[in-house]
Amino acid sequence: MSGSISLQILTPLGSAVPPAEGSKEPRESVEVPGVEVPGLYGELGVLPDHVPFITPVVPGVVRYREGETSERLAVGAGFVEVTEDGRVAIMIERAVRSADVKVAEVTARLKEVTAELDKKTDAIDALEHRKLANEQAWLEAQLRASN
Amino acid sequence: MANLKEIRKRIKTVKNTRKITSAMSRIAGARLARAQNAAKAARPYGERLAEVVAGLMGSLDDGGSLHPLLEKRDNVKRVGLILMTADRGLCGGFNTKANRAAKKFILEQEKQGREVVIITCGKKGNSFLRHAEFDVFRHHDAPTLETVVSSAKAIATEASTMFTAAEDDAEVQRVDRWVLVYNYFKNALTQEIRTAPVLPFPEPEVGEPALSPVFEPEPKKLLEHLLPVALESLLQQAMFNSIAAELAARRMAMDSATDNASELIDDLTLEFNRERQAAITKELMEIIGGAEALKG
Repeated sequence: MSGSISLQILTPLGSAVPPAEGSKEPRESVEVPGVEVPGLYGELGVLPDHVPFITPVVPGVVRYREGETSERLAVGAGFVEVTEDGRVAIMIERAVRSADVKVAEVTARLKEVTAELDKKTDAIDALEHRKLANEQAWLEAQLRASN
Repeated sequence: MANLKEIRKRIKTVKNTRKITSAMSRIAGARLARAQNAAKAARPYGERLAEVVAGLMGSLDDGGSLHPLLEKRDNVKRVGLILMTADRGLCGGFNTKANRAAKKFILEQEKQGREVVIITCGKKGNSFLRHAEFDVFRHHDAPTLETVVSSAKAIATEASTMFTAAEDDAEVQRVDRWVLVYNYFKNALTQEIRTAPVLPFPEPEVGEPALSPVFEPEPKKLLEHLLPVALESLLQQAMFNSIAAELAARRMAMDSATDNASELIDDLTLEFNRERQAAITKELMEIIGGAEALKG
């Protein structure tokens, strides 16, 4: 029992692990006692010595504690992989720290998107609909992370 | 004397051009460093994802061949081409090489009686193909480092929608194979044109997984989530390469343009001095000649 897991948060734009205090560069990984991830089948918590495991991630909030501070990140869709040697890699299309969420902007955009979604109900707009629904999920995830 | 003035004017013009080219080279150099960093930062994501795909497909007995994005079709009627170029020129052979490779590919496919559907990413490729009178089905502007993700998503969605369309679909043309032509960033000095298969999704080399992890949901369902993401990641990697390659090519082209301008200025200065000296000599001769005439 190692007591901690090494957490990686990977996005196409690089690591999304918040930087250590006094630094600006995101870190590659962080040692945490546990992490909560929004999985396809619901919120799931990963603790040390978890069985090797892969599952999709849906837009939502990733939570973990580092020392005394607890960190929250809004994440987009992707995957989480738990490896045998106790590493957790969250691969998502995007992530933003709760403190960096622009609440006013996101709220305004969410209203627009929701209104747009209500209008589009026919099948012809399926692609457009999916795009909007994805954006809506992402916006909601950001709002949830921020409060 | 008119000649002297002309040379002076030309020197000034070339000097101005040199200022611009050397500034462009320096800007490209600075951006290249950023692009390289971004590509480096993106790599872990792509690599982990590829590993997960490989592990997952390795755990499936049939290699997951049942997934629609993996379907290999024997009878290829329509081929899709994604051409990645830049939006702007002045970057040496960057655009031309990609365009030429694309044209060759299209002609080859057409010779085999296949229809080619083209998606361009980057204005230069688009205008080249339109000029050569090929139909461009969809056009996207070249991505920047910030828009790589959304751009890759848009193209991936288009390509996979057309790939998975039913054969007799009246609205969506069914494309049986997708190929990507782009500039691979080998290093700061060399770019390489690559033609890579996109769909059916290239099967990764499957290594023996040390311990098969638990997949949730079951592997086949998981593959449904994973493959579209892996496809996007494939396009993202290509885009990062293309962006870095464009900047590297531009820096090289502008560097050599700056060198050429310097050489030209040297030559012109030499000529200018020679002309000036000739004019002085001529005047001197005239004065001496006049003085001699007065004496005599």
